Amino acid sequence: MISLPVIDAPTRDLNRRLWRSRPHLDQDPDLIEMASEELIPGASDTPSGSNRRHFMQLLGASMAMAGLAACRRPVEYIMPFSDRPEELIPGVPLRYATAMNFRGIARPLLAKSYDGRPVKIEGNPEHPNASGSSGVFEQASLLQLYDPDRSKNILRTGSPASWNDFLTLCEQIQIGNRRIAVLASPDSSPTRNRLRTQLETQFPGATWIEYRSEGDDVETLGLQMIYGQALRPVYDFANADVIVSLDANFLGPHARNGDWNTRSFAQSRKLNGADDQMSRLYVAESTYTSTGTLADHRKRMRSNDISGLANQIASFLGIHSGETPDAFAASIAADLQNANGRCLILAGETQPAEVHALCALMNETLGAIGTTVTLLDTEVPMQIPQSQAFPELIEEMEAGQIDLLLMLGVNPVYDAPSSLNFPEAMSRVMETIHVGLHVDETARMSTWHLPLTHYLEAWGDGRSWDGTLTVAQPLIAPLYEDAKSEIEVLHTLVNGQHTKGYDLVRETWTPVLEDQNFESAWRRTLHDGYLQDTGFASVTPAASFDGQLATPDNRLELVFRLDPTILDGSFANNAWCQELPDPITKIVWDNVAVISPKTAEDYGLVCEYSKGRYYADVVTLAADGQEIELPIWILPGHADNTISVTMGYGREISTTRPERDTPFWDKDDETDIYARGTLATGVGTNVSKLRNLLAQPVLTGVELTATGRKWTIVTTQDHGILDTEARPLIRMATLDEYRQDPAFALQDEAPTPSSDMKTDFQDYPELWKNNHPAKSPAYRDSDYWQNQWGMVIDLNTCTGCNACIVACQAENNIQVVGKKEVGNGRELHWLRVDRYFLSEGDMDLDADPQIVMQPMPCQHCENAPCESVCPVAATVHSPDGTNQMIYNRCIGTRYCANNCPYKVRRYNFYNWSKTIPDTVQMAQNPNVSIRFRGVMEKCSFCIQRIRETQKRAGLEKRPLHRDEVATACQQACSAESITFGDLNDDQSKVSQAMRNPRGYKLLAELNVKPRVSYLARVRNPNQDLEPVG
Amino acid sequence: MSSSTDKTVKLPAEPPLVTGNLGFHDITQLVSYHTEKRPPSVWYMALAVSSTLLCILLLMIAYLVWNGVGVWGNNNPVGWGWPIVNFVFWVGIGHAGTLISAILFLFRQQWRTAINRSAEAMTIFAVICALLFPTIHVGRVWVIYWTLPLPNQMEMWPQFKSPLLWDVFAVSVYFTVSLVFWYIGMVPDLATLRDRARNAFKRRILGFFSLGWSGANRHWRNYEKTYLLLAALATPLVLSVHSVVSFDFAVSIIPGWHTTIFPPYFVAGAIFSGFAMVMTLLILARRIYGIENIITIDHLEKMAIITLLTGTMVGFAYITEFFIAWYSQVEYEQYAFLNRATGPYAWAYWIMMSCNLLFPQFFWIKRLRRSIPFLFVTSIIVNIGMWFERFVITVTSLHRDFLPSSWDYFNPTIVDILTFVGSFGLFLTLFLIFLRYLPMVSMAEVKMVLPESDPHHYDDNHSKSEPH
Repeated sequence: MISLPVIDAPTRDLNRRLWRSRPHLDQDPDLIEMASEELIPGASDTPSGSNRRHFMQLLGASMAMAGLAACRRPVEYIMPFSDRPEELIPGVPLRYATAMNFRGIARPLLAKSYDGRPVKIEGNPEHPNASGSSGVFEQASLLQLYDPDRSKNILRTGSPASWNDFLTLCEQIQIGNRRIAVLASPDSSPTRNRLRTQLETQFPGATWIEYRSEGDDVETLGLQMIYGQALRPVYDFANADVIVSLDANFLGPHARNGDWNTRSFAQSRKLNGADDQMSRLYVAESTYTSTGTLADHRKRMRSNDISGLANQIASFLGIHSGETPDAFAASIAADLQNANGRCLILAGETQPAEVHALCALMNETLGAIGTTVTLLDTEVPMQIPQSQAFPELIEEMEAGQIDLLLMLGVNPVYDAPSSLNFPEAMSRVMETIHVGLHVDETARMSTWHLPLTHYLEAWGDGRSWDGTLTVAQPLIAPLYEDAKSEIEVLHTLVNGQHTKGYDLVRETWTPVLEDQNFESAWRRTLHDGYLQDTGFASVTPAASFDGQLATPDNRLELVFRLDPTILDGSFANNAWCQELPDPITKIVWDNVAVISPKTAEDYGLVCEYSKGRYYADVVTLAADGQEIELPIWILPGHADNTISVTMGYGREISTTRPERDTPFWDKDDETDIYARGTLATGVGTNVSKLRNLLAQPVLTGVELTATGRKWTIVTTQDHGILDTEARPLIRMATLDEYRQDPAFALQDEAPTPSSDMKTDFQDYPELWKNNHPAKSPAYRDSDYWQNQWGMVIDLNTCTGCNACIVACQAENNIQVVGKKEVGNGRELHWLRVDRYFLSEGDMDLDADPQIVMQPMPCQHCENAPCESVCPVAATVHSPDGTNQMIYNRCIGTRYCANNCPYKVRRYNFYNWSKTIPDTVQMAQNPNVSIRFRGVMEKCSFCIQRIRETQKRAGLEKRPLHRDEVATACQQACSAESITFGDLNDDQSKVSQAMRNPRGYKLLAELNVKPRVSYLARVRNPNQDLEPVG
Repeated sequence: MSSSTDKTVKLPAEPPLVTGNLGFHDITQLVSYHTEKRPPSVWYMALAVSSTLLCILLLMIAYLVWNGVGVWGNNNPVGWGWPIVNFVFWVGIGHAGTLISAILFLFRQQWRTAINRSAEAMTIFAVICALLFPTIHVGRVWVIYWTLPLPNQMEMWPQFKSPLLWDVFAVSVYFTVSLVFWYIGMVPDLATLRDRARNAFKRRILGFFSLGWSGANRHWRNYEKTYLLLAALATPLVLSVHSVVSFDFAVSIIPGWHTTIFPPYFVAGAIFSGFAMVMTLLILARRIYGIENIITIDHLEKMAIITLLTGTMVGFAYITEFFIAWYSQVEYEQYAFLNRATGPYAWAYWIMMSCNLLFPQFFWIKRLRRSIPFLFVTSIIVNIGMWFERFVITVTSLHRDFLPSSWDYFNPTIVDILTFVGSFGLFLTLFLIFLRYLPMVSMAEVKMVLPESDPHHYDDNHSKSEPH
């Protein structure tokens, strides 16, 4: 290199030596080498070991030659906090316990916040009624906060008004004897209950209705019918050997206690060894649901006929003397009886209260109460059915008896049965106040609209399913100044003055915590998110039932259900939810009238598949003079002579956001899902128009006529019946077969070159340790290889509820592409849940196939076919065994996606991240790169979580704890179907799951050595119904 | 002269390579003339059409780069759609030129002299079209240079295991060698044009490119040597380039792609389509430029025979694939081929089968392979068939692979279609410019195959007339 005589000249006096330490004096070669370098070894070396200085010389020379002087990066200003907020370290997330009100139940949560910005929701793992898991709606509620179409201003008859104007109104109504009515969304908040009592005192004769868009709370009403008080059942599926579901989708994403149910049910289905017990699930249902996919025996029946089945079982059990049971009912009943109380029978939300009552009575008779069913006293008075109270209120409104109607978080103009003519009644009320997240159908017809805060913006409280008192604390100040929480509005209305939500909640909690030091107890509660030992007491009241089941009506029936992705429409403007495929039909961005193949044939209806899209016949459904138009969907396994529809579509939400308009050559306005108004508007049809006066979930005597028109339906999966013999993707056995050969999944598996060698990952660490290609110690000595990540997915417990998909979407900044692009096959979900119809034997293929779900993340193959074909090495294997996607390096040849046998790679066909609105940008996880157009992306095993945990362990100078890292999908899964962890640790959960005899690897014969294993499915059929042999 | 005194062995009479009693000057005149006079009006019309198509291509590329690959029909699972189909199609077409000039040169097939120049030009223009498609088909075209092994401070090299990278090298080497070969072969003719040029500017340009050629013995010696060496160099490339292109598919694990028969099958297909394209172009050019005596019906018949041969080879490969799928007993493989023939893209499959296997069989009939209209139509049909072959391979294999849950359908968009049509604009514009400014037939080489160029031609009073 450069030689300078001054430096290179030898030292004159060789006898006198200065030395720093003994190794220096001894000329320790390591020290000499270290001292000769400018920086510590590895810090300035290139991978091949050439010198930094050398490189700088070359770089300098080429710079000088290029004469590059004109380029300048845009100036960016970084604003520091002038005062650092307490506990906030930039880039280090904080987690707060909070709770979300979901259908009147507080769901305990842990929300993660970066620099004051909530970015991810998880379940609160310490809460007595929750684990760390969470459902679709909890996950998606994050995007609700950042919904760009949220209402921002107080409106009075459509024009902006101020909070002071509203205060004036509240002051005025204090005077005189005003009749007030409140329609409030169900909520378990003690503070709201306290204010309700205040309201009822302040305004005598006030009406308060907990308004549910789906109608009566049949479960509570049913129990009330036989026990005389409002009770809440807790089902302990883990203790049940026989479970009977009568149209009850208790595992569905919209089940009120779905998280608990799923966890508990999954425990009864886990098989680790040949001797493990497994529950048996019977399902009778009209449409295919998540619960139905897990049934050991599923019978498709019209919802209307299910009460008949309940009756038959009851009569077999000696409760009712009525119909003689058929073979199916008799087998169920006998099985129930043989379970010695370790059984339970439950009815679904489509069933009338009487069926619920009958089920409770059967549980009582079977001895299940106390064993598998616990009844909790919810401490509320007897419920008056909504189907009775709501029409009464409307009558009063029409008579002009109501002076003020307050609507808290409800949207009755949209979802009340149109035969009740709610909008007309509303116009007779002097002041109608709507409090909601959006300027929606009801807001536009109300005299007042107040923007509602999101639960992450406001103080609140609630009770979880078991009654545990739970606090909902905000993580962020309201994004919009005018937004107020329900309790704040309620309090203002009652008292005529504004008090902060924080004070209102504290006021409620003061008596609760009175026997302790309030401040410290309150802080403790906030930290934990709940107050210990505040659950509802379990009771065992005496039962008496004299109700009569309605006789089934054989006419064509229409069943209304909550939508598994957008619920009752409250999640309709949520991009994640709209693009979430329906668990069964896999339809996105639409609602349909689901019918069976036979019904379709009877009415001459078709749903044609052509070139990647479905073209469905549009039909008119008419009842009581009202009619709606919906495209049909033909679902094998659906009951005949019944139609299933879901609520929540056909919304009309107003927005003030300008439309995106680009020149004709720029497709940004087409590819931006937010470009033209609100997301929800114009998607699907509002079905509540057809509902009868009582808003019953099942409507009979519906007229179905074809319109002759077609509607394009987009799904993320094609229809298809799988021949399991030829393609062993899903492997199944009955419990008996499993007992005989627990490793049945590996029978007949094609041999692979690796199958007779060492186990797949055994030689991997040594490879990295001893044969690392890099010369630089910084690369060579990276100890990432000490962990070998892997995943196991249990097909026996997966319900296909989609929670993992939304969790993945929230964690990994996965963009939403819209109906058209999903139709083009360009959805971006990193994790998908494959749904397969499965028929065995000579069964009528269309009539009764099974459905099996198979979650499909990247399999992180050891011999990854994607890695070897990338021309620029943009997808590579990490030392810890993950298949990594280097977005910066990707040039987008899509060869990797072609060569992926699992087709889990997703491509950015457009610049989807460019157009996301400012507020939605706030929802993005700062630890995950936003992908530009033209690059490939895919599941990374949540590498950012792995590295974050490793960093934390490094800072704390400790090894990683066992099972310390959890992927987003694993964390969300209530069924604990997904296990992730370190394969190098013999005792980690994933290593144990890998040893499960049911394990198999998908497409193992390709010798790609996937790191994801599946545990084969086991069915537990009743031999009376399905003779062996 | 009586035949009894003639001791030479009589071979079956070969038809003369040049008809019409053309002399050396006639050939020079016939070929050079077209670069010197005003082109015929049909040339202007063709240029108007092709340059319009070229503009469409440029607009489509601009639209693509502005908006992203989403403007095409590609999706998941069909990551490669028309652009890759077009790439393989054009590379295939770009095969005939070098085959004619290099391999047939080494085999001393003298009939090649009439067609090699324009076939080579066609090769170069087709390879330009081919290179265009993989370039624009990537998601981030502005970093396409990352596929080249350029030194950088991260020491980040391309991934040499990837067949796409092999493609980059194979096609660019093929392009470079073909270009040099074409140019070297043209030097004597350029000198002829230079000597005939009346305009000083033209003379300077041609003078520069003819490298000071004076027709000296040394020049000819060096020229012949270079030409031979280049032919030897180009010969393996003819086989390698399409083999490497076939590796894009064969090296993958997708049923329908993962096939060892691909390299020979692709090379045969490429020659097949290349000859068809040469036929299409030359049937028009010989007619318009009146050079039927240089590019004779016999030349066309020879090309038809090669087409018949390679078409049958390709057809054999199609059937072999089916046999192997059945014989392998692999469900995925069997389904992939069954799906080709009976699935949603069966129409494409049967177009491919009939155009590539069935139509060339008519060339068994001599009358048909000497019928200009029939040759012309068949040459176009063959190229349609070969485009569909690549479509069938690329799209039908991808759209339904291992997991039925990700099966989907591929629909091309208008941008796909216009980009492909536009690439013909690029090809034809370049070809028309070639016809206008450069000698479309290798004059020097055609003269070499005239009987007069035999040094002993005048020795024994042989007249110019045909041998008996």
